[in-house]
Amino acid sequence: MSLVLPPGVTRAAFDAALAAFAGVVGRQWVLASDEDRETYLDIYAAGDEADHAPSAAVAPESTEQVQAIVRLANAHRIPLWPISRGKNFGYGGSAPRMSGTVILDLGRMKRILEVNEPLGYCIIEPGVGFYDLHDYLTARKIPLWMSIPGNGWGSVVGNALERGFAATPYGDHTANICGMEVVLPSGDLVRTGMGAMANSRAWPLFKHGFGPSWDQIFVQSNYGVVTRLALWLMPQPEEVLTLTMSVPEPDDLGWLIDVLTPLRIRGVLEHPIGITSYLSAATTTSQRSEWYQGEGAIPESVIREIMSKRAVGWWNFTLRLYGHAEINQARLNVVRRAFAAHTRQQFQITRWSAANPTHGPGAPAPTVAPLQMINWHGGRGGHLGFSPVVPPEAGRVLEQMHATRRRYDECGIDYSSTFYVCGRHVTNINLILYNRDDPHMTANVHRLFDALVKDSAAKGYGEYRTHLSYMDQVAASFDFNGHALQRLNETVKDALDPNGILAPGKNGIWPRALRKPTGSP
Amino acid sequence: MSRRAAVRIAVATLAGSALVVALLPALSATEMQQARADGEALFRVHCGICHEPGGTGTFMLGRRLGVQHALLEGREDLKAAYISQVVRHGLMSMPRFTRVELPDDELDAIGGHLSMRSTAAGGKP
Repeated sequence: MSLVLPPGVTRAAFDAALAAFAGVVGRQWVLASDEDRETYLDIYAAGDEADHAPSAAVAPESTEQVQAIVRLANAHRIPLWPISRGKNFGYGGSAPRMSGTVILDLGRMKRILEVNEPLGYCIIEPGVGFYDLHDYLTARKIPLWMSIPGNGWGSVVGNALERGFAATPYGDHTANICGMEVVLPSGDLVRTGMGAMANSRAWPLFKHGFGPSWDQIFVQSNYGVVTRLALWLMPQPEEVLTLTMSVPEPDDLGWLIDVLTPLRIRGVLEHPIGITSYLSAATTTSQRSEWYQGEGAIPESVIREIMSKRAVGWWNFTLRLYGHAEINQARLNVVRRAFAAHTRQQFQITRWSAANPTHGPGAPAPTVAPLQMINWHGGRGGHLGFSPVVPPEAGRVLEQMHATRRRYDECGIDYSSTFYVCGRHVTNINLILYNRDDPHMTANVHRLFDALVKDSAAKGYGEYRTHLSYMDQVAASFDFNGHALQRLNETVKDALDPNGILAPGKNGIWPRALRKPTGSP
Repeated sequence: MSRRAAVRIAVATLAGSALVVALLPALSATEMQQARADGEALFRVHCGICHEPGGTGTFMLGRRLGVQHALLEGREDLKAAYISQVVRHGLMSMPRFTRVELPDDELDAIGGHLSMRSTAAGGKP
């Protein structure tokens, strides 16, 4: 991957900046060969990887080194793109939004600074992966359970900062952040919440602090580099009941939403509930050519064949009840009563208990098994997620599902979707799988994604997260009062980062010097 | 000698190059054993989540090359240089590893571990 310089930076100035970085971290942690640059590209890009090409990477090992690098970046006007472990697959991986940006790789900062069992929290650095924390907890037999997303390879901190989630009671990961240490774009260091007291005893315990609460402005933003973070962990429950069920028709999704939403809002069910279409049963265990070799999206006859051979429904879901056995039994009764009005099916139920932990699924464990789906088409696979937030009302959800599916069909892409019932909203993760070496297919992927963003925005639905290439388009869809939110984001950006050195373009937020009208470069 | 340096030399030694033979006396039998163990241990940490039995990479390789070639640790055709190429540049659906996630000396140790069967079978590294 040949060098692409940051905008307005000469080769001599760039080399001088890298030499200055090396003075902080050591030469071996300034990575600037063609091969190094290639390792930070988005390997699952649906287009040209060079659209988001880094110029180099620098890897500090401490907060102090991060501060020093950020100060040097200001002095040399070098843009930095912080990554934790760079496994943001489907959203750009470790690649920067703007070509020429230097990756600030925090992967060496992987200390687990504290785990508090009775109060249920950990304080960790950004390089700590889900596997690392899981190994730490299990090796020490600490009865705290993690909440782990589908790709368990990534960073615990990075996932929480991108609003990742999982189907556990602590599954809204960003909501379980309780205090951060942040290097600001100036190089200054702050701790949020109660951590703003030098001798705080309650930093990981109380989220709000005194006065304005800042944690969430460092989520999905480019206002600071998070160098440590406190995250709440779930105490091991006495029992877990796992309930599974499948339903046979696409429109069964409607009554499922109507049944599950009040159970979530009232706290009978405490975790995001993923209702997943039939296709995932095939994408993770087989390739498309084993089922269908024709043109266009998979036809209805093949859908029914997959459902039959994989013994799955059109929609499939799992509910889990975590807690004391007496309470779980009462909740189970309420869930069964709610479902009885719509189906005669009974749940398949497995029971895990702390007293008998070898039976049934218990603590979540990291896995990368879902990544097998990338191989659906063969060749060099890739995936994107289109993820609008939809009101949890049957009519609206069904309309969204059918409209999305029609767009997939128009573009010849196999529809694959999960609707996560999260209480007062549904997050709809639509998976787009493709062969990166098929230009016709990747062109259709972009056509599909563009249409889905526009369709959803027209209905008043925005995405919770998106790929680098769509950050500007999605940000522009948040358009109340002439894009007032964009103006606020830019005002904050210019105040905190007047030189525009931190993650230009992240989530559509550009510094003044790189901004185009209406925040859409 | 640092543990990582010992690993580097041992890995090259396993590959059997003349240059490395000259370095052999610096490495005790215990260190050789440790180096082999390090390559294996590093494989477990960095590669095992996909390339142990039942893993995503094992599954994909089995589909593409046949089940007899699915498990990397059972292969007799892997060379250290090839392992390095795949790890740094990716292959099919496998992502690339940066030198922060997997430094060169650790990659060398893993390459040594995975190419041991190839070397034992008379192949070059």
